[in-house]
Amino acid sequence: MFGRLSKTAAAAAVATLLGAGPASAVELTMYYPVSVGGPLTKVVDGMVAEFEKANPDVKVNAIYAGNYDDTRVKALAAMKAGQPVQLSVLFSIDAYDLIEQDVVVPFDEVAKSADDKAWLQSFYPGLMANGVINGKTWGIPFQRSTIVMYYNKDAFREVGLNPDAPPATWSEMVDAAKKLTKADGSRWGVEIPSTGYAYWMFGALAKQNGELLMSADGTKTFFDKPNVVEALQFWRDLGAKHKVMPEGTVEWGTLRQQFLEGKTAMMWHTTGNLTAVKGSAKFDFGVSVLPGNREPGSPTGGGNFYLFKSASPEERTAALKLVKFMTAPERAAEWSIATGYMGVSPASYETPALRAYAREFPPAAVARDQLKNSVAELSTYQGGRIRKALDDAIQATLTGAKPAKEALAEAQAQADRLLKPYR
Amino acid sequence: MSRALDTVAAWVLGALWIAPLVYALWAAVHPEAYAARFDLAAPLTFENFARAWAQAPFPRYILNTFVLVTAILAAQLVLCTLAAYGFARFAFPGRDTLFMLVLVQLMIVPEVLIVENYATMARLGLVDTILGIGLPYMASAFGIFLLRQTFKSIPKELDDAARIEGCGALGLLARVYVPLARPTLVAYALVSISHHWNNFLWPLIVTNSPEVRPITVGLAIFGAPESGVSWPLVSAATLISVTPLLLAFLIFQRQFVQSFLHAGIK
Repeated sequence: MFGRLSKTAAAAAVATLLGAGPASAVELTMYYPVSVGGPLTKVVDGMVAEFEKANPDVKVNAIYAGNYDDTRVKALAAMKAGQPVQLSVLFSIDAYDLIEQDVVVPFDEVAKSADDKAWLQSFYPGLMANGVINGKTWGIPFQRSTIVMYYNKDAFREVGLNPDAPPATWSEMVDAAKKLTKADGSRWGVEIPSTGYAYWMFGALAKQNGELLMSADGTKTFFDKPNVVEALQFWRDLGAKHKVMPEGTVEWGTLRQQFLEGKTAMMWHTTGNLTAVKGSAKFDFGVSVLPGNREPGSPTGGGNFYLFKSASPEERTAALKLVKFMTAPERAAEWSIATGYMGVSPASYETPALRAYAREFPPAAVARDQLKNSVAELSTYQGGRIRKALDDAIQATLTGAKPAKEALAEAQAQADRLLKPYR
Repeated sequence: MSRALDTVAAWVLGALWIAPLVYALWAAVHPEAYAARFDLAAPLTFENFARAWAQAPFPRYILNTFVLVTAILAAQLVLCTLAAYGFARFAFPGRDTLFMLVLVQLMIVPEVLIVENYATMARLGLVDTILGIGLPYMASAFGIFLLRQTFKSIPKELDDAARIEGCGALGLLARVYVPLARPTLVAYALVSISHHWNNFLWPLIVTNSPEVRPITVGLAIFGAPESGVSWPLVSAATLISVTPLLLAFLIFQRQFVQSFLHAGIK
């Protein structure tokens, strides 16, 4: 059980004796989460190995650290204990909490050359929305997703709908869903998951109804605005009034399975699912941008790179090099193909690999096409508690326990109380 | 009549207990399309096992878990037995206060201490070692409490008789107390093994490399909170992880059940 320790010590001793390795070797430790299926730890390891080959003076320990919450706990615990951690991939919406805890540094402090500054501008603005706060860039997009609509083309054909013209508005979606729903309950028209990431799905509905959920500085929420209430009422009506979605809540984790088994003809889900759906669907399926109401829209989601304060100046420079490498167009393309996450920059969609992939599999480009309408994911100070308040309000409405207006007014009151000290 | 009722109840409970396992087995040996559809004619496949096996170094993880639970258990048995013996049979100043302090540990959820424990392990240089995962659990308050109660219930006459025969304090412990407390020790061992076999968050936080990580961390890769779980894959991985424990339980089943009956815990 001490094997590892003594091996490291021995290696260090040998290296000192032989004077081997470049004198200015920098060692970086990076934690990252995995939150979609697939052998992703191997993809990351492969990319890191490529980086080390290209930069022999930098050694990188890339450590898989569970889901987003586990990874945050782990990175912060390591930092507080004085263990090395120079950068990590954490939830994009954790930015405010990380800033408040004073553990991260903005990329602008390290990316100073003209080249670096151009690089900061090279990403899709929609993906930077969660990472740029008070004029500074705290997060660089890496494993980013958005919500899209998956639909079963075979089911569309079966009921006489055009499989190449998915519904583009709420009312079209309701009409199509009514045709697709089977009276015996063996198939629903559409399902929007309401456990796990209810606030995220709701961000899409609110935006489509012309409203954002929070202010850009993370100190205000707009849960009780009339359009937001209307959006939640629409969600509730899909099940209660139109009868095209199961009444009550829809389970996030099993929705893909239901879609694959043909139990729902349309589902709203993350692009992070694309590769998995592609691998398992036994029918012809399509992916489209989410339907809009007053306007189209979908929030982005996923993880950003953050630079930690505990890194020394040399380590910060090396960390920046690593982040640049990992988000370079070729790697972003490779990552997107392997996972279904988005290519993070326009240039990544211009790479031969991703162009060829999008040509052969057009759904891969849908997320990109939606980016022009995308907004930041719900992210505020006291983020965890505010998301919980909104999640509770959504679920209370969907299960019929409270009317939308009342539930959202309560959530807003709670958010106001939590955010008061930050205004 | 009541006998028949007992039998029926036992079958119902048994069926409830085994249902998740049966489902995992069903999902693991069929393609994804059949994961939630019962169809006897569904094609069988072992591909899920192969894919799960390829995604994480399972043999290494199983070995790590095995070393971890064995080390924790060995240390717990020694430490808890000695401490419990002290609390049960020796009068010394501050004994009750000390015992209260041990009990306080029972009231604290281990997760609260993660950051503090991590800092301690870092100062000891034990981050990313199997010893580091196990150390915070070795002086188990539950074990001390349980064994102290057991030792207290052993008749003093046996103790006195052994002393008259010339047995010292440690001899007494080895010849009288430990043999009589065997059912409790076995029951405690089972609880400890299954708890540490399943422990996830702390091992994940305190380890970095696959060489020391236990199986639960490997299993978590299949959790995929964002995209939703692939049931066949996660079932196959789960079966791979629980098989060693399940086999051990089936083999030693009789001893376990008897120990639990004697020790009166569950």
